[in-house]
Amino acid sequence: MQLFGTYYDGLTADPRAVSCTIQGTEASGFLEVTDLELDHMVAHWPQDSLLPVPGRKGELRLASSRAPAGARIVFADRETAARARRELPVLARHRKRHTGRQFRVIGLSTMAMASVVLAYIYGIPLLAGQIVGLIPPDMETRFGDKVVIQMASALEDTGGLRQCDPDPESLANQAIGRFTRAALEGTDAPFDVSVQVVANKIPNAFALPGGRAFYFQGLLDKTESADEFAGVMAHEIGHVVHRDGMQQLIATAGTGLLVGFVLGDITGLSVAGTVGAALINTSFSRDAERQADRFALEVAKRRAFQPTGLADLLERVSKDDASAQIFALLSTHPLTQERRAALEGISPMAVATVPAFSQEEWQAIKAMCLGSGAGKSKNKNKAIRGD
Amino acid sequence: MAEQATASFIGSRWRLAGILISGYILMLPTLGIYRFWQVTQKRRFYWSHTEIDGDGLEYTGTAIQLLVGFLFALAIFLPLYGFFFYLSTQSPEALVYGYTGAALLLFFLSGYAIYRARRFRLTRTLWRGIRFHQSGSAWAYAFRRILWFAVTVATAGLAYPFMAASLWKYRYNNTWYGDRRFSFEGSWRTIAAPFYVVYFLVAGLTVAITIAVSTGSGLELGSQQISSEALVGILSVALAIIVLFSYFYLLSRFTSRLLSKVTAGAASLKVRVRARSLFWQYFFYALLVLFAVTAFLLAVGFVLQGVLEPMLADQEIELSEILQVGWYNLVMLGLLYLAFMALLTVLSETILGLGFWRLVARGTIVENSDSLKSVRAGGEESPLAGEGLADALNVGGY
Repeated sequence: MQLFGTYYDGLTADPRAVSCTIQGTEASGFLEVTDLELDHMVAHWPQDSLLPVPGRKGELRLASSRAPAGARIVFADRETAARARRELPVLARHRKRHTGRQFRVIGLSTMAMASVVLAYIYGIPLLAGQIVGLIPPDMETRFGDKVVIQMASALEDTGGLRQCDPDPESLANQAIGRFTRAALEGTDAPFDVSVQVVANKIPNAFALPGGRAFYFQGLLDKTESADEFAGVMAHEIGHVVHRDGMQQLIATAGTGLLVGFVLGDITGLSVAGTVGAALINTSFSRDAERQADRFALEVAKRRAFQPTGLADLLERVSKDDASAQIFALLSTHPLTQERRAALEGISPMAVATVPAFSQEEWQAIKAMCLGSGAGKSKNKNKAIRGD
Repeated sequence: MAEQATASFIGSRWRLAGILISGYILMLPTLGIYRFWQVTQKRRFYWSHTEIDGDGLEYTGTAIQLLVGFLFALAIFLPLYGFFFYLSTQSPEALVYGYTGAALLLFFLSGYAIYRARRFRLTRTLWRGIRFHQSGSAWAYAFRRILWFAVTVATAGLAYPFMAASLWKYRYNNTWYGDRRFSFEGSWRTIAAPFYVVYFLVAGLTVAITIAVSTGSGLELGSQQISSEALVGILSVALAIIVLFSYFYLLSRFTSRLLSKVTAGAASLKVRVRARSLFWQYFFYALLVLFAVTAFLLAVGFVLQGVLEPMLADQEIELSEILQVGWYNLVMLGLLYLAFMALLTVLSETILGLGFWRLVARGTIVENSDSLKSVRAGGEESPLAGEGLADALNVGGY
């Protein structure tokens, strides 16, 4: 049987019209190639050396392990190609082996990728803590100062981070300072922790790297008792003690790298990259929240306040209205049933004897932002410098 | 004997769309790994359906080579990534210098990556059983590119034709088909006319608009008086039209003229790509994108409505429930987003990518094609692994 096709010898760029005949069996047979113009045999490929190479659908391109790398026999005609495939069973076997190999490589590399992702998701919270331990505290403080500047300008629309009562000697600031020192007792926090009440309308509170925590006026307005205030304070101080801000930063950097790894876009600028990274980071921050809650519980044991106040406040803020401001709070302090249960788990009153805040102190704190209408611009810089 | 050979492209858009879509679907369960197989299939499609003088091209690269190349690129990128992270913790001034430096470094590296990726593709391209390859140094090319880029910026773009000619020369004088070396016979004059005409037209109009705006004076044409606002309006519309159409005009002239200066021994290319054909392709593409975006927004609207309405109706719903549903929604929205991006890529690849390739192939004539029959094999497959950096920097075209 003759199969007409084109032969390239892989040595010169001269395509030859050829007829091929299949000789003998699969194990010992040959594919004989005869040049139609010259009328003599130009190639003699053993059947078991034949390799199908990818080409157009329908066409058959053959290479041989015994011929130069570029040498090809091409059957462009569909019918001829189909006939050659039938006559040369070695091709189907090759194809099968090749497909199997591709599947194995894809499977293995997917598994490798999955293990990197899993190791990352479970490993980074542990690792970030270790890495943070290596960062000198004063470097973190300097970095924190830069973050405060960035945050202040990002929140400018709702009031920035201007301190409500810049006088460190006022009753309210004294009380906050005392509570902070008491909460830090027995911990090895490497910073001077400062908690500031700032005139910003958003109901929120957060801690930044370097020991700077902020309690927003918007949240203070909704805070109904000293217990609630103390709960949130203790929670934020917990973030400072665990250096969560810095840990999160390191985790975020790692997340960006991982997402880039999966999506093949190392610059991480695509929206898919950003969303993916945000999803992973949210799960990290939930772990950090649980830890800060546990810290608040410990403080509550010593300082006589109801830690459930924290949960009460979060619930109240989130129930008020489904506005965008609330999502801001939920994103950093997501409230779950589990968290509430954990906070209710211990009755601290039995242990502590000194109340967190006296009645006068709490009244003074509650009134901190009421007299701050004047001197807005004057105090702004102070708050940023953090005195 | 002067033989003329033509080129052609016979691949169908639907087959390409099939390759791309099945590739995107398989990327989900393989966590993105499948993209190397998708790219390889895409190239096999383009190469095998391109015929020069009746013989098709063959792409001999494999997905595994690309995968390994990507891993190599990671090794280069990890320290860079660490540097960026360190940079982000620095003061604002350091940040400005740092990011400028980083942008320049990335631009330099992308030049290196482009050249290496080109070598990878050329050495995996077979025509008539003979391999293409590329000599020259990727670092030298990257230096040349960044220096010319600096000169072009310093001359407000006037040096662009010189840059294009220099880079084309370096690329093609280092391109080989077997033992036959290509050569770029052009100079800055090759594209000077179309470039400077458009350049001075746009510059002139911009200056005229600036003057009209700043002086607020109108124009007197004989007895007719044109107010300042009307003048600015007319000039702005003219500028917008010129900028829009000059894109197609320049793309067609640059492609045609530069490629027509490429020779390989006695053989030479003659390429003609019409601006008109390019315009219709982009027009068709814009229509489809408009349609796709509308359909996508409607779909998102339906999903959100279906989820939010029952929630708003039930005031007593627990907060934690909303949060859980929110997670589900986020994942759904994420998938929807990925699907949308995939759709856009499929559209641009099947309409613009394939369209441009086909226009170039169909507009190409090889003069003295018979002289190519004496070419002998030469050159190895190199680099052995992937396009690494190019893949990571996203500079790869087809």
